[in-house]
Amino acid sequence: MTTDVTDAGGMGLDVDALGNTDPILSIAEEVFSAMIDGEPGLLNPWYGDRPDPVEPMHAWVDVHEAGSGRVLIEAERGTVVELTRALLAMGPDEEVTEADMVDGLGEVANVVGGNVKALVPETGVLTLPQVSSERPPTPAEDLLHELALDWRGRLVVLSLWRLP
Amino acid sequence: MKVLVADDSRVMRQIVVRTLRQAGYDWWEITEATDGAEALEVVNSDPELALVLSDWNMPNMTGIQLLHAMRQQGSDLPFGFVTSEGSTEMREQAEAAGALFLIAKPFSAEVFRDTIDPFLA
Repeated sequence: MTTDVTDAGGMGLDVDALGNTDPILSIAEEVFSAMIDGEPGLLNPWYGDRPDPVEPMHAWVDVHEAGSGRVLIEAERGTVVELTRALLAMGPDEEVTEADMVDGLGEVANVVGGNVKALVPETGVLTLPQVSSERPPTPAEDLLHELALDWRGRLVVLSLWRLP
Repeated sequence: MKVLVADDSRVMRQIVVRTLRQAGYDWWEITEATDGAEALEVVNSDPELALVLSDWNMPNMTGIQLLHAMRQQGSDLPFGFVTSEGSTEMREQAEAAGALFLIAKPFSAEVFRDTIDPFLA
């Protein structure tokens, strides 16, 4: 697992206060077990070096009006295919469409983002999810928190960002 | 019983419908809408509708705007939110607008049963 805490601002989330616990990990575990896997234990912290992503896809939601921030999820295209297949309870031979991949990854970002927003007392407005093969342009110094996760042997990266 | 599920995500609508089935509501006849505006059209055109389950954050018309519009039109159709945000402020806002409940995503079949069953009695 890589956890990089660089700042305590943004989204009104005091990441220093996370201490040895990580509510973002708890949220991710709950989202994956309830929506994707139907059982707990298939999402865990990633240990070791991260592979270079092949055809990465990114999905994110932003919070505006109070402690503006962004919740971003990144995974390889092949991982998104399997995520979507699991979300839709599809068989291994069923075709996963591009539209469902965009919808599925966006919804994962949306639900994680909604739950992260609920951690902070400030009110704000959550945007609709956006999905792109390009990483949204956010300065590296605005990274608040990053979590590398192992989902069935595949890398999924969740990160929180400060927005201007 | 006819139930409307409104969510701009097809994936999420499918998950909601699947979870309703798992919760035992497989006798419900489900209609779907892709945003609040489409949901309002269904509400206005289907007098047999018995319950609306709606996302909050949707394009064109949000879930809370949908609920306000329904109540302003005099509709007292039972309404519940199924949304990714479950803050105290949103729950209060939902209740004040006339929603019966707010189920936060991610959810389970048990949560659906525990939340919805009391209103079916």
